[in-house]
Amino acid sequence: MKRGPALLIALVTSVLFAVFFLYPAGMVVKQAFVRPADGAFTLDFIGSVFGNPIYREGLWNAFILGAVSTVATLLIAFPLALIGHRYDFRFKNALGVLVLAPMILPPFVGAVGVKQMLGVDGALNALLMKFGWMAANAPYDWLANGRFTGIVLMNALHLYPILYMNIAAALSNLDPAMEQAAENLGCSPFRRFWKITLPLAMPGVFAGASVVFIWAFTELGVPLVFDFARVAPVQIYDGIKGLDKNPIPYALTAILLVVAALVFAFSKLVMGRSPLGTAPRPKGRMNVEKVGGVKGLLCAAAFAVVFVAASIPHLGVLLLSVAETWYGSIIPEHLTMRHYYEALGNGLVVPSIQNSLMYASCATLLALVIGLGVAWVVVRSNLKGRGFLDTMVMMPLAVPGLVMAFGYLALSQEGKAFHFLVGEGGSPFFLLVIAYGIRRLPYIVRSAVAGLQQSNIMLEQAAASLGANPFRTLRRVSIPLIGANLAAGSILAFAFAMLEVSDSLILAQQAQHYPITKAIYTLLSTLGNGTELAAALGVWSMAFLSVAIIGAAVLGGKRGGLFKV
Amino acid sequence: MKRALIIFGLLALIVALPITMRRETVTVTPEKAQDHLVVLTPHNESIREEFGEAFAGWWKKRTGRTIYVDWRTPGGTSEIAMVLGAGFKAAAETGREGIGVDLFFGGGEPDFATQAKLGRLAPLEVFKTHPEWFGENAPVPPGFTGENYFPPDHLWVGCCVSRFGVAYNPDVLKRLGASAPQRWDDLGDSKLVGSVALADPMKSGSVARAFELVVQDQMQRALSNAGPDLEKAKAEGWDNGIRLILKMGANARYFTDSASKVPHDVGQGDAAAGMCIDFYGRSYHQELMRPDGTSRVDWRSPVGGATLSADPIAVLKGAPHPEIAQAFVEFVLSPEGQTLWSGKPGTPGGPKTHALYRSPIRRDVYTPENLANSINPESNPYTDGGTITYDRALTGKTFNTLRNLVKIACIDSHEEMKSAWKAMKAAGFPEEAMTAFTNVSAVSYEKMGKGDPVLDNKDNPLAAAKRAAELGEWFRANYRMAEQLAKQASTTSTAH
Repeated sequence: MKRGPALLIALVTSVLFAVFFLYPAGMVVKQAFVRPADGAFTLDFIGSVFGNPIYREGLWNAFILGAVSTVATLLIAFPLALIGHRYDFRFKNALGVLVLAPMILPPFVGAVGVKQMLGVDGALNALLMKFGWMAANAPYDWLANGRFTGIVLMNALHLYPILYMNIAAALSNLDPAMEQAAENLGCSPFRRFWKITLPLAMPGVFAGASVVFIWAFTELGVPLVFDFARVAPVQIYDGIKGLDKNPIPYALTAILLVVAALVFAFSKLVMGRSPLGTAPRPKGRMNVEKVGGVKGLLCAAAFAVVFVAASIPHLGVLLLSVAETWYGSIIPEHLTMRHYYEALGNGLVVPSIQNSLMYASCATLLALVIGLGVAWVVVRSNLKGRGFLDTMVMMPLAVPGLVMAFGYLALSQEGKAFHFLVGEGGSPFFLLVIAYGIRRLPYIVRSAVAGLQQSNIMLEQAAASLGANPFRTLRRVSIPLIGANLAAGSILAFAFAMLEVSDSLILAQQAQHYPITKAIYTLLSTLGNGTELAAALGVWSMAFLSVAIIGAAVLGGKRGGLFKV
Repeated sequence: MKRALIIFGLLALIVALPITMRRETVTVTPEKAQDHLVVLTPHNESIREEFGEAFAGWWKKRTGRTIYVDWRTPGGTSEIAMVLGAGFKAAAETGREGIGVDLFFGGGEPDFATQAKLGRLAPLEVFKTHPEWFGENAPVPPGFTGENYFPPDHLWVGCCVSRFGVAYNPDVLKRLGASAPQRWDDLGDSKLVGSVALADPMKSGSVARAFELVVQDQMQRALSNAGPDLEKAKAEGWDNGIRLILKMGANARYFTDSASKVPHDVGQGDAAAGMCIDFYGRSYHQELMRPDGTSRVDWRSPVGGATLSADPIAVLKGAPHPEIAQAFVEFVLSPEGQTLWSGKPGTPGGPKTHALYRSPIRRDVYTPENLANSINPESNPYTDGGTITYDRALTGKTFNTLRNLVKIACIDSHEEMKSAWKAMKAAGFPEEAMTAFTNVSAVSYEKMGKGDPVLDNKDNPLAAAKRAAELGEWFRANYRMAEQLAKQASTTSTAH
């Protein structure tokens, strides 16, 4: 890639990123570095965090949860992606889409769904009691007693689609000739996997794993479900929401960001690039083995088991939405549709659907444009500092939602730098599109970087030597080559933008601008059946997102499969 | 093509569902409305919906004009404090007076007192237009049970009253062999280990006040039994209060900032009992009622441990629609607005669809006719009793210190605390272990009774953080020692 366009793209994306991420986040986090008395720079708050054993433990717990969750996620996602890559079995297409279920879990009620299933008087204990495996007067408290394992398991079951999609995309870009050559030379399947498949898929593994690690490391919701407060993200959340306004939580945020950046940069050094270099463009998908019988059944079962386990919260939400009473029984004792009538009939719902669709799709588009630019610079240019740019664009994933939201809120006040983004009648459209887009940038960048690393640069060079300008090369050669990766990244970005919480709650102030998540949050506070109403609207969003994602997969995958381009 | 049709057909069907089910309401869309009112509130959706509709009707009747109430709900009172902070900071920097919001509706007295102190509230007109509503013998008294219902400068006024109490699940209590809680003390019962749901005093002024009342209850009891040495009685009462908080904390599953989480978890059986504000307790009691008249959630006001505090409203300075904002305050305090709080849905003067389970602040609406239509027909908080009179002189200055102590000793140290408590329970609560666990010498009334100057110093957060870390370490060392002593006692008794 020529230096000129690379520099231009790097400059434009960096400026956009600096203005819409570093500035608002920095505005908030800077409190950790300012002495209140005289406004002078200080590192004392950072020192104070490290001096307090509670915060040290919180950081360590977050790190361990992040690391173990990433490994657990990998253990679920890699085998699935590999099975999908190597074998053709019955119901493969359907199961391949079903395992993406965790991506559609609505916020707030997802946690309630889990608690309905795993609570002391929840469905699981009721089931165990029914079969006589648990004494009725001594129910087991899964949420309080199984904390660490529980958090890791829930993280893994929630996050594996990120890895699965990235690995599936990476595998679909592999040249089957490499594996076939190894096989012909007598390589055992395990050795072939270890020496050929895994190293070639490494960019995809890294792309997914880095997102999963940062997500799990900074995860707030799951530890809150298990009431685990001694973990850095919960300590930050508690601190920011506390009325005493101490800068300690911001210092903790700064430390969390630095740790996330260091872990990312280090692991990128170790595993970010395929040691085998880029392979030529695959010429076909000859290596898919059609399996039936027991082997086919086992393949399908692997997908089915993961789908069922990952759908426990969804099932909880679904049952809750039709429950008249559900307490100490496996399923609700009395069923009703009244929550649906009340929830879907609420005046907030229809506009919120329209808003969410607008916000999320525009944000995905924005993230796609910026992300592709960043990825191109990172992979195809030799600009100094491109590694730094790559690390920086991962940071929106690690910044606590409240920090970003308050940064935007403070800057969008009248007379402030971002006020021009507030539309007529206080519309937060541009604010939310930018906030959502920036926070979903990592999905696109990681997917695109992985794709570009795998695709052969010689094809782009050939196009250039035949006279295509950089834009034409990008449009006609690079983008089609990494279409699978971009589809994966965009689906993740869109789904997670639709389910975004913090920015939605704080920045969408007027009812007519609410996105669907804020509508769910609003219904949740209805007295009496608020949880059930939120569950009903949650089920509606799940249905909508499912059809949208399946639709994108079916219509987007030119040859029928999700990531086969 | 066929696939695309199916997918788009399905999407259209899903989107059409809420469109066809949409209900018509009195409230108009913002574009069609002739008047607007912007209200910043932590009140729940039911209150917003009912008051929004009722005020729109009242306004139409009074002026013939339509109105759109623009509810702004960034979250609870802590988010609202941040939104107000960001807004007024920017306003000050750009020379504007207001932040585009008319009213701040709902929260606790501490939240409104803070905003008043910061000069963000405008005087309320209702004190001039209806002076007969306010006064010692008027419908809205200046205060009750030691709580303020409006300040002398009339910058805010209470709209309804509420108190913290205990929500409990009779099934779970029975399973644990515990009896129904009567006082705050019962939440310290070791039978409830891991089953108590507590609210977080760092995120809500009202919750902080509830913890203050836990201590004050003990102090007032000590004073009522005291000999001539009142100071000693106060100190003992304070120590007992802090010890009780430690025991409650040791039993706690969590400290939450979500008002609905406590009654929800109690109703689901995840917690046996929890600290919960009255209207959530009542609404869950009603919602989870069984056909035989029993409920999964019962709520009671702890004997001698609750005051009746006001839930206020205020007009913000620089309000874009000051006249309508003042009219809204008048409506909320009028008999018409007041009966919305407690009426049964569909009854004359009551809410349309959702009962709000709250107690009006006006004493004159507790008439037999209104009570007959009330969701709490037996309840007149002004005459029910069971409350204490809050004595500001006893603990008023420790308000901030006390909530910090709860954070330091219980929330931050919860892991060590729970672990010690479980070991002590297993060993039958040996005396030495209990003494170590309930050691409160570092936070005695003598040291903390007027507030801790370091913890309270907002200008030096670094020193406050250091002090909190030191105190935390001190408490955790006590818990570790208690755990060790309990385990030793347990080993010794097994050896014998």
